[in-house]
Amino acid sequence: MDKPALKQPILIELDAECRQDHLDKVEAWLKNVQLTQASFRQLLEDTVDKIEEPHLKDYLNTMLQQALDHEEKAEALFLVIGREPSTVRKLAGDLLGKGRELWADIIALGGGAHGPWQDLQQLYISNLNSMSAFAVAEQLGLALGIPEILNITLSVIDEKSTSHLLLQEIALEMCSKSILYQQPF
Amino acid sequence: MVVPEGYEVEAIMVGLSFPTDVAVADDGTVFVSEGGSSWPTRPYMPARVIALHPNGEVEAITMNVHAGPRGITWHNGELYMIFKGGYHMQLAKYNLETGKLTILIDKVPSGGWHEPGGPIFGPDGLMYFGHGSVSQQGVSLPAGFTVDLAKHPLAHDVPGQDITLTGNNVWSRDPRKPYPYLTLTGPFKPFGTRSEKGEVIKGQLWCNSAVWRCRPDGTDVELLAWGIRNPFGMAINEQGELYVSDNDFEEKGERAVALDPDRIWHIKNASKPFGSVTTPDWYGFPDICGDGLPVNHEKHLPLKGKATELFIQDPPPWAGPAAFLEQPHSCMCRMDFSRSDFFGHRGELFVAEWGTLAPLNSPREEDLDHGFRVIRVNVKEGTSELFMHNRIMGPASAHGGGGIERPVSCRFSSDGKSLYVLDFGVAHITEGSMFGFAHTGVLWKITKKEMSHG
Repeated sequence: MDKPALKQPILIELDAECRQDHLDKVEAWLKNVQLTQASFRQLLEDTVDKIEEPHLKDYLNTMLQQALDHEEKAEALFLVIGREPSTVRKLAGDLLGKGRELWADIIALGGGAHGPWQDLQQLYISNLNSMSAFAVAEQLGLALGIPEILNITLSVIDEKSTSHLLLQEIALEMCSKSILYQQPF
Repeated sequence: MVVPEGYEVEAIMVGLSFPTDVAVADDGTVFVSEGGSSWPTRPYMPARVIALHPNGEVEAITMNVHAGPRGITWHNGELYMIFKGGYHMQLAKYNLETGKLTILIDKVPSGGWHEPGGPIFGPDGLMYFGHGSVSQQGVSLPAGFTVDLAKHPLAHDVPGQDITLTGNNVWSRDPRKPYPYLTLTGPFKPFGTRSEKGEVIKGQLWCNSAVWRCRPDGTDVELLAWGIRNPFGMAINEQGELYVSDNDFEEKGERAVALDPDRIWHIKNASKPFGSVTTPDWYGFPDICGDGLPVNHEKHLPLKGKATELFIQDPPPWAGPAAFLEQPHSCMCRMDFSRSDFFGHRGELFVAEWGTLAPLNSPREEDLDHGFRVIRVNVKEGTSELFMHNRIMGPASAHGGGGIERPVSCRFSSDGKSLYVLDFGVAHITEGSMFGFAHTGVLWKITKKEMSHG
């Protein structure tokens, strides 16, 4: 906080240096938003292909269309603060999604689950991870007084919150078929 | 922005984050408290007090507390602060020279919706403070975005006198559970705990929805009044009379009340000798509106939410009527009496009106622009006049351009010649959400222009 000039109001953390420092830190977090959302979308794409039951497939296809839109919105967040989205983080997210798929297979093998159920369980966790990343971006927008960030994140978090309930529900519904009856779906 | 002819306004500080109160030292140092986790609770911004010294130097008094300071005042060379956060409100004093923070009181049950009031000092040298109810509507219920139930599941209201309950309980969903089925909650109970007809709840010195006084070191605490929903604003006039602001019930949810006026109460027990108050006065919460009508009166039936039932059987005498009634949801906050003939309106009470939370807390179109201004109140006549407002009523951000958003406090300088008005900043409200934007708060200074004799 600077010593004020005469009759000029004192700026509290609004001077150019402090503002740029805060925006640099927001940019770093937005890369995390990109990474987690790309990872979720990749895992979701691969899981949709594995599911045969038409209703579940339809639920996840709808979620995938939203996920693609959310990925674009994650990139739009950078533009709000005058920065460019990261291509590296998007690629890293794709790889992370594949990694989660592999991890799901390992857990399924150890836990005796059959079919794509473990992928659903991983999707549930991955969506929570990316939803949290968007929610943090929203709080950073509020902390810096930037309503344009909220304009983007609010609808994303609403949709991902609904997806969270849906993924929890279908993972819990289908666990008995996968673990007790060893059947795909 | 509009102020009466003869006054000028200047911005002193801009970019404040969720400021809650302003205080002025004898040497002219101006203090502004920033509330940390405030309204709504997220995002947390650093809880601190910013001090602007007369030489223009600025320093930040930082603290590691989760919620943060809600009220500050300068007295005898020390800064007194009142904190919200956790299950107890805390009252403390801070020495600027040594940096020592001393907790004076840590016993008032808090952890819910409403706020601490004060601290202020009277001409008697005593310290006056208050705390609002834990519950928003007289019973602990889910309130969504402030996640009170997750932080403080055991928090509840505590009465200032022995009371007998009617046995009325309120149904609501339990958002803490994976299966959010309905649960019953009674008044003066933690969420999910029902009350019984004829059950007696013992009154406590350390209650809430209450106002107290004590010595400056926090000893010899005396309960003056309870049943005040949110005594956030407190002020004492030159005659030593204590007045507190209080906010109306909300017209939403499981115990909704319509058209309850905001009010200013005269705390008559404060005029009695220190230590002589044997029975605190009761000002109506949770069963009586600001106009003296019961919350279940047909005038107060809600358009949005479920209508109320009474909680207290054979209640204590009501200490009203109010000294002043204001439009519902104006959200009167901190306030101060003019003590200066130079500034003018000596003896009148200047009140910051934070402004409505409609359409979140009221479905009524007419509530949308209530508040967002500073008024001056004649507490003897029960009348008011506008003092500071935007050209178009409502927050400046609603109409574009500059101006005031949500005045949260006003305090006269130590010589009484200037009025500081603290603007909380931008809060965006919808029917189902509330978002506060940090770095949008402003400290304004209003000064009477000197007359030219040239």
